[in-house]
Amino acid sequence: MTIPEHEAIIVESKLDIRYSYHVGPVAARFYEVLEREKRILGIRCGGCGKVYMPPRALCGACFVKMTEWVELKDEGIVTNYTIVHYDEPMRPVKAPFAYALIRLDGADTPFIHILGETDLSRVRTGMRVKAVFADEMPGTILDIHYFKPIDPEP
Amino acid sequence: MSGPGVRRIDYHAVLPYRYAAGRTASRFFTELRDHKRFMATKCTCCGKAFVPPRPVCGECFLPLEEWVEVGPRGTLVGYTVVYFPFLDPLTGKERPVPYGYGFILLDGVSTKIQHFIEETDISKLRFGLRVEPVFEDARKGSFADIRFFRIVEEP
Repeated sequence: MTIPEHEAIIVESKLDIRYSYHVGPVAARFYEVLEREKRILGIRCGGCGKVYMPPRALCGACFVKMTEWVELKDEGIVTNYTIVHYDEPMRPVKAPFAYALIRLDGADTPFIHILGETDLSRVRTGMRVKAVFADEMPGTILDIHYFKPIDPEP
Repeated sequence: MSGPGVRRIDYHAVLPYRYAAGRTASRFFTELRDHKRFMATKCTCCGKAFVPPRPVCGECFLPLEEWVEVGPRGTLVGYTVVYFPFLDPLTGKERPVPYGYGFILLDGVSTKIQHFIEETDISKLRFGLRVEPVFEDARKGSFADIRFFRIVEEP
């Protein structure tokens, strides 16, 4: 049977998801110290000596339970980054902005955060950044508001 | 909930999105919206009819250019009754429970669709029940234009 051409249908939808989880005792300590004392703690493996940030209960390489807490500097380097141009409501800040993998001094693993007070055209791997704490602490990793460059290039 | 050693983190993720349904699905949804009828694409090679229609047969790799009207009645081939209230990710709101949910094989179709079932007494649901769609009055061109499928008695 013949059917005439039809209008083009645009499907408009969304995912709207609320969820919560208990972070466990290791991450709970990390967040408590971050929120109350504005200090950043990593955790060291007694087997291989690797310092994890964010801290975790077990070393992924050695399968050893980790108990040695290490205070890290609030400074580190950008090991990788991406510039976000597309705005989405679930992002922590308005686009454009930069997500960066940041390895803090004293840690062996990088973690993801956002860059602020930053000329996005000048973001480079290896650039040094420093944590800026939020005025209002949400009790998440966003207690660190963002990382800003140290000694920006002229 | 938080205290020494106990901490909960709450997230709210909202991801709006839109996409063009494409020529094949657009035909299907406009027919559903304007004429309350199901149109399927049919493969001239293997004879399978697809709802929702697809532009290419997944088995024969042939373009599907033949359209056939199918349904609207069908057969219940799988079902459940949902009692656990959870947030519908499509709306962010809780859907009232209980509600029936099932797989329906529309008459003349080789593929099953999932939709709501009016009946919420699971003892009244069984494989092979005949069902028909109940359409919304205001239809927008989506599967939500069908409110649910209800059981019909057939001789």
